[in-house]
Amino acid sequence: MISGLLQLLVFQGIGELLARFVLPVVPGPVIGLVALLVWLRLRGRVGEGLEQVSGAFSRHLGLLFVPAAVGVVMFVPQLRESLPGLLAALVTSVVATIAVSAWLLKVLSPRDDSDDGGDDPGGLGATRAAPAASATPAAPPTAPPR
Amino acid sequence: MNTALPPIHEIWVYLSGSPLLALTLTLAAWQLGTWLYERSGRNPLVNPVAIAVAAVAVAILAIDMPYATYFEGAQFVHFLLGTATVSLAVPIHRGLDQLRGRVLPLAAALLGGGAASIGVAIGMARLLGVDAPLQQGLWAKSVTAPIAMGVAERIGASPTLTAVYAVVTGVLGAALGRFVLDAVGCRAWWQRGAAIGIAAHGIGTSRAFTVHPVAGAWASLAMGLHGVIGAVLIPLAFGR
Repeated sequence: MISGLLQLLVFQGIGELLARFVLPVVPGPVIGLVALLVWLRLRGRVGEGLEQVSGAFSRHLGLLFVPAAVGVVMFVPQLRESLPGLLAALVTSVVATIAVSAWLLKVLSPRDDSDDGGDDPGGLGATRAAPAASATPAAPPTAPPR
Repeated sequence: MNTALPPIHEIWVYLSGSPLLALTLTLAAWQLGTWLYERSGRNPLVNPVAIAVAAVAVAILAIDMPYATYFEGAQFVHFLLGTATVSLAVPIHRGLDQLRGRVLPLAAALLGGGAASIGVAIGMARLLGVDAPLQQGLWAKSVTAPIAMGVAERIGASPTLTAVYAVVTGVLGAALGRFVLDAVGCRAWWQRGAAIGIAAHGIGTSRAFTVHPVAGAWASLAMGLHGVIGAVLIPLAFGR
């Protein structure tokens, strides 16, 4: 656990340093992500500690957005007059983005890669043959380990 | 109530001077959000981030705590956002093992989706007569918030405004994603995840992880790539 956290902090630090002195366009954590990814590719396996910490972060990623997002909400009343227009723009834009991305992924992928059953490498604990309709929230085909 | 207690405002002065109150509030709000989300059977419309944010906002308004004071305490949580970003290398590393034959569709979706995000947002905002300065923040909104704010600075848009749009976009994408994906007939988990990652960055990715591990991994991959590509291309495309 601690070894994994330490590894992440070291790579975050490397990223911050590179962002500060070499690549100011890209934020430090993103450079850290790429650096860690390169390290994992070279090493070929993920250590147990890192596995645990990254699993915990994945499950609770949303929590980390809360402090910044609260500030954002405090800011919303200042947009009062433009709010309906902005909201309409944001809703249509996000729907269009998802639709265009999903459609391109679907039509450009080999047919057998667009079925659910074909997309289930072992080790991820996923069940097979779950059609899109079964993404029903009430019964997700596979719940991630809690 | 016990009269032996010190006056309550003194307790609050003490608590607000330490990160304890802000941290407790943040974690309690998140707990409430995830509890309601689970109770609803992981209904996408019951977004845990939106619930937690609303709960914290109501609480700090109620106790009259300035946002700056709250953030000072909650910044420990905020700091971990950077560390969590680095940790996404792990699911991406796993996703890369399944990249064969998916490079072209993924690249096309990143560019097409990114262009659609900007085009539709700016087009709609113009059509509806949103003020020009408010429109600029829309350029980077589908990119993950920390990168979006950096991009906003470079193109001369307000980073705060961009962050507002990015957070709202993330929540909307997480809430509406499932319905759009079903409407388009997109079935494979990797494609569903990638589309959400492109459109709704971290908040969408967070949702994807709770739905399916493959969707989560591909959402992280797509979010990371969109961040890097956006950081390079958006400043070049801006204003054309």
